[in-house]
Amino acid sequence: MTILKKTRFQEYADPSEIIRLINKLNTPSQSVRIMNVCGSHEHTICRSGIRSLLPRNIELIPGPGCPVCVTPEEDIINAVEISNRNGMVLATYGDMVRVPTQAGSIREKAKNLKIISSCHEALTTAKDKPVLFLSIGFETTAAPAASLFRMGPPSQFYFLSSHKLTKAAMKALCEDEEVGVDAFIAPGHVSTITGSREWEELSQNYGIPVVIAGFGAEDILSSIALILFMLKTHNPKTENVYKGVVKKEGNIRAQKLMKEVFDITDTRWRGLGTIENSGLELKDSLSPHNARSSFQWERIDDEDGLCRCKDVIMGKAYPHQCPLFKKACTPHTPKGACMVSREGACNIWFRFGRW
Amino acid sequence: MRISLFHGNGGKQTRKLIEEVFLKHFKQSGPLEDAAYLTVPSRQIATTTDSFVINPLFFPGGDIGKLSICGTVNDLVVSGAEPLYITAGFVIEEGFSIDNLNKIAQSMAEEAEKNRIKIVAGDTKVVERGKADGVYINTTGIGTVKRRFSVEDVHPGDAVIITGPIGEHGLCVLIEREQLEVESPVKSDCESLYPLISPLFEIPQVKWMRDPTRGGLATVCLELCEDTGLGMVLFEEKIPVREEVQFLCEMLGFDPLYLANEGRALIVASKEKADEIVELLRKHPSGKKAGVIGHITDEFRGVKLITEIKGERFLDYFEEDPLPRIC
Repeated sequence: MTILKKTRFQEYADPSEIIRLINKLNTPSQSVRIMNVCGSHEHTICRSGIRSLLPRNIELIPGPGCPVCVTPEEDIINAVEISNRNGMVLATYGDMVRVPTQAGSIREKAKNLKIISSCHEALTTAKDKPVLFLSIGFETTAAPAASLFRMGPPSQFYFLSSHKLTKAAMKALCEDEEVGVDAFIAPGHVSTITGSREWEELSQNYGIPVVIAGFGAEDILSSIALILFMLKTHNPKTENVYKGVVKKEGNIRAQKLMKEVFDITDTRWRGLGTIENSGLELKDSLSPHNARSSFQWERIDDEDGLCRCKDVIMGKAYPHQCPLFKKACTPHTPKGACMVSREGACNIWFRFGRW
Repeated sequence: MRISLFHGNGGKQTRKLIEEVFLKHFKQSGPLEDAAYLTVPSRQIATTTDSFVINPLFFPGGDIGKLSICGTVNDLVVSGAEPLYITAGFVIEEGFSIDNLNKIAQSMAEEAEKNRIKIVAGDTKVVERGKADGVYINTTGIGTVKRRFSVEDVHPGDAVIITGPIGEHGLCVLIEREQLEVESPVKSDCESLYPLISPLFEIPQVKWMRDPTRGGLATVCLELCEDTGLGMVLFEEKIPVREEVQFLCEMLGFDPLYLANEGRALIVASKEKADEIVELLRKHPSGKKAGVIGHITDEFRGVKLITEIKGERFLDYFEEDPLPRIC
């Protein structure tokens, strides 16, 4: 196991050496389902063809790792309706505007749209015009979004929080027997904010190994070997192989900032439904800026039709098992959210070919 | 001075523009006829045409003028022809700078001279402001056939060779267009393949070649497999990609396999002759990074990439056009 003790900066760890170790630790008769919850991990897995190197009983499943994919239609449609009705600029990220919904996409429906690449652009726009900022993402984007409220936003700046907490979804997946997750590769970027301790609850309460990994092919392979080792020794823990970057306590300043601005709340995930304590909502003291509570809000259920994005997000289907994949649904004509963003599993599978 | 609609009316201004810009650079004189008479040394000629709508018009390593000659020359070369003559049609937007038009014509003349080909016919049209983007050029090339390549000669076991690092033209255009600030600028590989490739015409074991322009290396390989009904194995670690290109591609989310090249050729040749061909290519300054990157197989159809960690994945056509107007 010495090769796994090397940190992430293990430039000399030979992938074939790690694969030999994986084969040694593997029990072929036992199915092992390892879920990743980060689009960048799925990207590395597909780009390097990692699945082709693993024994057949080991499955790598892409989970809810793309913030665009898990934003419910309700938030998108209401963002369009509220901004159009009230003559506001709808500010959001590029990928969001192409997400198809039952009422069309933001690009098709928003009368006044501002595509931003940083949340601060939304605030700058609000200096001149009323703005509704549809703010999405996991902990990595929630922290900078929180910082906007330290800058004294103008009264015409409205914030629609669709921020999600990664661990809550992972817990929900642990409890879903149909998914049957045996282990997680935890997201490297999110862990820089939350700290490695965030995931300990999962290994303790659900008895499954969690490994925080960086984004190289060797990082993913090492994580798989470590997971197999923990499963074999019946010693599920949270391990960090992204040590140079992720600390146990995470980014305390960012955590403090988020606590100052947001309350943890129940929220809806596209695909996963409502999950307890899984979202971030603006604190009551900031309610004049809260778009959700300041305007008329319509309750809308997700409508997926033939699209199986819901199952893909849940890890119940691989992208190619959707009847629309590569047929009606392509990055150019996305039918589901997972095909829109480059972090979405369907988009990644589309770009990196078949196997 | 700028181009006006009068320059395109076929009258005095048109003639003045042709004489002062095009004929001056292309070193042509005499009366302007409706057609050029050409002499070709053999009965077998090859012809090809291409239109160039690149944005931006000037980029590190070339401009639309150089590109319009190289692009057409390269199509002739990879078809086994020695380029002899070229024609050039221009669609110019009203208001375009005549200085820039001069620069473009000069690049064309220089590139033609380097390749010892003559620009023998031309046409100039001007469209209203906003109806075109600067200038578009169409070139048609005529060459004499030295070798005929055919996909039917491609067989399992044949080696796949690339003549140089990939992805540079596509990435260079993207950086210029988006005005990205990068520390080490990426130069387009835009270049005529004739000097590098023509010695290969004599080698019977060279079976097929193509220049991987739009859609990049991956698309050309996929097309070959589709046309032959065969498969191809490519080794990622053997495909030359400059370090800065790899780095920027990862940062910007592009795959060099799908980025356009304007001075590279993909060659299929018998396995036993492959090393010798690579040696020959490497003797030329443009072929220093040439190498065998894979082989043809009949074990499956399509293109299988063996990744750096020895994983496998099948390449597929890219549906999105990552970069429109790159040539």
